[in-house]
Amino acid sequence: MNDTVVPGRGDKGLLRNRVVEVENLTIRFGDFTAVDGVSFSVRKGEIFGFLGANGAGKTTTIRMLCGLLAPTSGVVRVGGLDFDDGGNGIKSIVGYMSQKFTLYDDLTVGENLDFAAGLRKLPAAAAEKRRAELFGMTGFDRPLTAKVSDLPGGIKQELALAAAMLHDPEIVFLDEPTSGVSPAARARFWGLIRRITAVGKTVIVTTHYMDEAEQCGRIALMRAGRIIALGSPDELKDSAFPGPMAEVDFQGSDPAAPIERLRKAPGLLALSPHGMRWHAAFSEGALMDAALSALPVSVRVRKIKPSLEDVFIRLAGGAQ
Amino acid sequence: MTSFSPHRAFAVARKEVMHILRDPFTLALALGLPVMLVTFFGYAIDFEVKDIRLAVYDRDGGPAARRLKEIFSASGYFRPVEPEAAAGPIGMLDSGRASAALFLEPGFSRTIKGGGEAPAQFVLDGSDNSKAAAVAGYLPGIAGAARLRLSGPGGGEPFYAETRFLYNHELNSRWFTVPGLSAIIIGLLAILLTALTVAREWENGSMELLLSTPVRPLEIMAGKLVPYGVLVLAGVVFVYLSSRLVFGVPFEGGHLLYLAACVLFITAALSQGLLISVLARQQQVAMQFALITGLLPSMLLSGFIFPVESMPRFFRALTMLLAPRWFMAAVRGITLKGADLSELSEPFLALGLLAAGMLALALKKFKTDLEP
Repeated sequence: MNDTVVPGRGDKGLLRNRVVEVENLTIRFGDFTAVDGVSFSVRKGEIFGFLGANGAGKTTTIRMLCGLLAPTSGVVRVGGLDFDDGGNGIKSIVGYMSQKFTLYDDLTVGENLDFAAGLRKLPAAAAEKRRAELFGMTGFDRPLTAKVSDLPGGIKQELALAAAMLHDPEIVFLDEPTSGVSPAARARFWGLIRRITAVGKTVIVTTHYMDEAEQCGRIALMRAGRIIALGSPDELKDSAFPGPMAEVDFQGSDPAAPIERLRKAPGLLALSPHGMRWHAAFSEGALMDAALSALPVSVRVRKIKPSLEDVFIRLAGGAQ
Repeated sequence: MTSFSPHRAFAVARKEVMHILRDPFTLALALGLPVMLVTFFGYAIDFEVKDIRLAVYDRDGGPAARRLKEIFSASGYFRPVEPEAAAGPIGMLDSGRASAALFLEPGFSRTIKGGGEAPAQFVLDGSDNSKAAAVAGYLPGIAGAARLRLSGPGGGEPFYAETRFLYNHELNSRWFTVPGLSAIIIGLLAILLTALTVAREWENGSMELLLSTPVRPLEIMAGKLVPYGVLVLAGVVFVYLSSRLVFGVPFEGGHLLYLAACVLFITAALSQGLLISVLARQQQVAMQFALITGLLPSMLLSGFIFPVESMPRFFRALTMLLAPRWFMAAVRGITLKGADLSELSEPFLALGLLAAGMLALALKKFKTDLEP
């Protein structure tokens, strides 16, 4: 399962557009290998997502790419720079927004942005111009004198993004940017991400929301420090489920016996519960039809397209 | 590679000042502690011992005995209480109804009158160490006065012992303690406030934001230490002004020298706070560490309350490694004795070494902690 095909690596023409290149990246903390021989590259203007459970190594990978952690071994090149100077070169050309809300609650919007500008040594006029641009893009309409602690969660995230992008970085790293905000705010934030990439910037984002992963150009699926699959959402679905998939709804009848029979059906690739229903994937349509027709008549069956969640469960082993 | 940017350090400092102005706890601590300590030590706590209850067992009843009693009560240190025959002197001391007892044997007055030496026995409750020491200090003075007055002018040149206290003639305990309060304020405020500031950044995740920018550890450190250094220095100025204006404490030495001692000690204390913050990373833990390593040495091992000279050998050796002890020595030397740098070379050298050592240690730990 680990030798999953990695689609999308063959297009050599895009080589010069690669703004992030990572080869065999490994980091160990004592005996624990948090990231284990990871290789991938990210193209300019792409939304590149890391999907995986907590502890899969997403955040650690991103932190190495931002110059926050030194890799134990492997090559990191971000915007043509490597880690040789302790990450300081990388830090000055990327923007990073961490999982936790990292602005200061007791300071105002303006003070937080001024601080970010000060750390980046931006001249006041440039910072002000850039702030206006970012506010225009994000639709941020709170006064500069508003205290950050008074802002709602989604607005805070937008402000944190503005602070991370004040120095106009070409590459923006977002580590679970929407954790803890409302669904509406999440949707708005992803609209923002698409607007950022529309002007040619690259966004690298981690998430464990499947619906967010669907919006990425490409996704690296991580488990236990390794990338177990990489590709666009459709490519991942196609490679994980080459055949058709059906949703099986037992409508209240006892599923135990039919599920047992279904498990032994020829051509079954995957069978997993989704709430009250089950998803069954087969290698071929004919084999699926045969297996499903053997189910009791009370069971309702319909063909579905696999979701990224199915892919994730199949490749990352679900809860195991 | 390590290019220190004053611009970035200033950005950190400005942000830190805004934190201080917004945080009621920091402000209250920084402004309230000096006021509280000065009031407390200046008014409430008095290390001078007065009105010691003295039970006089006068078995003589003569004129000399009466006069001796008057001398004791006129000294202001003693207040005679009625001796209880039933309880006896030891009983009175045991029950706390008296702290000292004076025995005058029959024939006391007669011997004095005859020009001889008459013994008077003085019994003192030694269970309160500091009180006993103070009383023992008063005795020679009283004995001298008694000798002078009892033997009379006719007895030729009277001999008496006199203890003279240099530098603080009145042995005014406020002169001694109030200047020393700057040690407590620096030791507590500087260590506690810096210990909290870095731990707070770790706790709420804003350290990530700092580290994701090109800001260098040295810039963060400078930006954090300078505002708190100024804040603590303001507390020292408050102690200085209140000790001069309210308590009339003399200031014999040079102000620049005093400032230098403060700056050295503040540097050592801020560095210690930073070190704690880096090690603890949590405000709760940092606060406890800061209180233990900040307040206790300043209070107990600096000579502020207990003289270093009378400590057990181990603690005396330990104080050599503690900046508060040297700062206290320097401050008292400057304020009360008017000592100059050459006379205070030892405490200044020690303070300088400790400050430099602590700063280097904090910086090293801070750097290795922050750098990837």
